[in-house]
Amino acid sequence: MADKVIYAMYDDDDTTKDAAKHLVSKGVHVSEVYSPFPIHGIDPIIGVKHTRLGINAFLYGITGTMLAMIAIRFMMIQDWPMNIGGKPNFSFFYNIPSFVPILFEFTVLCAAHGMAFTYLLRNKTLPGMPARNPDPRTTDDRFVIELKLEDNHGFTAEQLTAWVKETEIVELEEKVIK
Amino acid sequence: MGFQVSGKVKKILFGLVGLGVILMVAGIFTQKRYLFPEVHDDHHLTVISNYEGYSEEHYQAALNDLKKEVEGALGEDYVIHIDDKSGVCTDPTHGHDHEAEGHDHEGGEATADHGDEHADHAHHGPAVLWHISIEAKKQEEAHAEGENHEGGHAEEHDDHNDHASHGGGHGHGIIPAEELASMFENGKLSVKDAENRRLWSNLLVNGFFFFGIALGALFYLGLHYATESGWGVVLLRVFEGISSAIWLGMAALFVVLLASTFGMTHIYPWMDNDIASTDAIIYGKGAYLNKTFFWIRIAAYFGIFGSFMMWFRKTSRREDEEGGVELHFKLYRRSALFLVFFAVFSSTMAWDIIMSIDTHWFSTLFGWYSFSGIWLSGMIMVMMITLYLKSKGSLEYVNENHIHDVGKWMFAISFLWSYLWFSQFMLIWYSNIPEEVTYFIARFNDYKYIFMGMFAVNFVLPMVFFMSRDTKRSAPYLIVIGLIIFIGHWFDVFCMVMPGTVFAEWDYGMLEIGMFMAFLGGFLLLVFKGLASAPLVQKNHPYLQESIHHEF
Repeated sequence: MADKVIYAMYDDDDTTKDAAKHLVSKGVHVSEVYSPFPIHGIDPIIGVKHTRLGINAFLYGITGTMLAMIAIRFMMIQDWPMNIGGKPNFSFFYNIPSFVPILFEFTVLCAAHGMAFTYLLRNKTLPGMPARNPDPRTTDDRFVIELKLEDNHGFTAEQLTAWVKETEIVELEEKVIK
Repeated sequence: MGFQVSGKVKKILFGLVGLGVILMVAGIFTQKRYLFPEVHDDHHLTVISNYEGYSEEHYQAALNDLKKEVEGALGEDYVIHIDDKSGVCTDPTHGHDHEAEGHDHEGGEATADHGDEHADHAHHGPAVLWHISIEAKKQEEAHAEGENHEGGHAEEHDDHNDHASHGGGHGHGIIPAEELASMFENGKLSVKDAENRRLWSNLLVNGFFFFGIALGALFYLGLHYATESGWGVVLLRVFEGISSAIWLGMAALFVVLLASTFGMTHIYPWMDNDIASTDAIIYGKGAYLNKTFFWIRIAAYFGIFGSFMMWFRKTSRREDEEGGVELHFKLYRRSALFLVFFAVFSSTMAWDIIMSIDTHWFSTLFGWYSFSGIWLSGMIMVMMITLYLKSKGSLEYVNENHIHDVGKWMFAISFLWSYLWFSQFMLIWYSNIPEEVTYFIARFNDYKYIFMGMFAVNFVLPMVFFMSRDTKRSAPYLIVIGLIIFIGHWFDVFCMVMPGTVFAEWDYGMLEIGMFMAFLGGFLLLVFKGLASAPLVQKNHPYLQESIHHEF
């Protein structure tokens, strides 16, 4: 089913924010905003859900801790028991202070890498993925608000365009996507 | 004028001080000096005291009274004989297998296998050493009732002991030596502490803790000025108010240090001339740890911190009247100077006031470790006062973003503190050098639950509860967790001081609670007095608007 998309382009983050506010106040649903940098405070305006990346980070971190514990236990206690710090107790528990730095580092490693990959994957911006932004200038100095007709059933394209024109746009584009 | 605290709150705080003082005075009479038993078999035990007091005659008289008490302790069924070897053997670990040293712990971790576990106690003088033998009186009765579990064992002792120790488990199946030992351990058989070691140590703990809170707030004030931060301008008067209570901690520390200098208490072994001249390690540290240089340093800390605090408060009030940016840049330059002083003094202050208690021991990380504790307790206090003032509607510009920022500081500094605590511990644990590791052995053996529990609470609670954005903006979470880690950091200072001053003879009772209450009440009264003396907003600060619109 064909869908009409309206791209409204702005040249300043503040006017973008004002425009989004204006559109939302009319009851319009803004599908996406493309911007060269994160616009502070735009998420609550366009109703972006709170990120769950933090929960992911925690899970990746816990996974890292577990993996590191298993590996250390196998390497330092089981497979080749090490005399650590002149204290030959050969137990994981009593040697744990010397393992803490590794546990910590591996936790951070897993959490950070997991978070980065999840972020890139979720945004569909992994290296080599096709760019989704409507205009290459949104990576430079332009800001684009995307309105999909599909998301705004109550309104016609003309109505939306009229409202968009009330804001300080620099360019306006309509596209039909399949 | 600023925030005026209501008469009701004032009454409560005065009541807190009054109640605290009453409890404290009552607690002074409960101070004990323990003797530590080692059970050898059913009928023989040795009792030692690790620490010999300085007013020896006084202590001797008390010990003689205790002997009579011990002789009658098990009732008429037993005859107790004390063989006093005190002074013969000066090292309490000498002549005993030192495994029995760890009287109240199991194995003392992997590092406890040093014979010189109490080496740093030995320089306090000769230890008390009593060999106690217990003899059952009613032998026939004992035999008759004794389907005792170790009868055969007791018979063996007959061969090489003069004392006829028949009937090992007399009547009720008790083992007399262990019965007596438990009386020593729980303090039933003990000497009253005439030197008030717990009182002085607590004064030091509370003095340092509350001095640290005010200093932490002062440090953050300086940091805020020096970095020209914008977000916290609406909170600066709270920082000023808390730092104005620095005099309380200073006064307490001054009293303790003065009393130590004149020999009224022996918190600092290096201040004792006999020890300083005979102990090789302390003698070697004499160039730094001598009374003259010590007092020069203390005067420098108190003088410089105190005068910077007064200058910051005075200048910000002048800024309120005059406006402009000239005073702002003056504050900026002076606070950078303050931070230079603070960087050096926060470390040396911790060495002088706290680390020199365990004079043999040293840790290069100690200054930073105690500084992180100071900073954190200061931040918690800032949070509590801010939430209180906000609930009274006095901080109109403070919104949840500012609260969130202070919460982030509490979260971050908790990690800094835990990181430094662990770094200090791990390096000492790993290298296992006797003169370093004694510090942790004393804490693991005698303060195990309080020491480990304090670390666990201060590390885990902030991590779990302050990680989320929402909890850092919610007053109930901040108050409950904040107060718990506030108490936790009081125990941190407790664990820094007590093992070096009262050793294993610590206690937690009316004295500790009372003095903490009195200090807390007094501190808050001073803080509210400081808050009342100036408006709660620095109305001419150049970044005031930035702070009012602070949002993220």
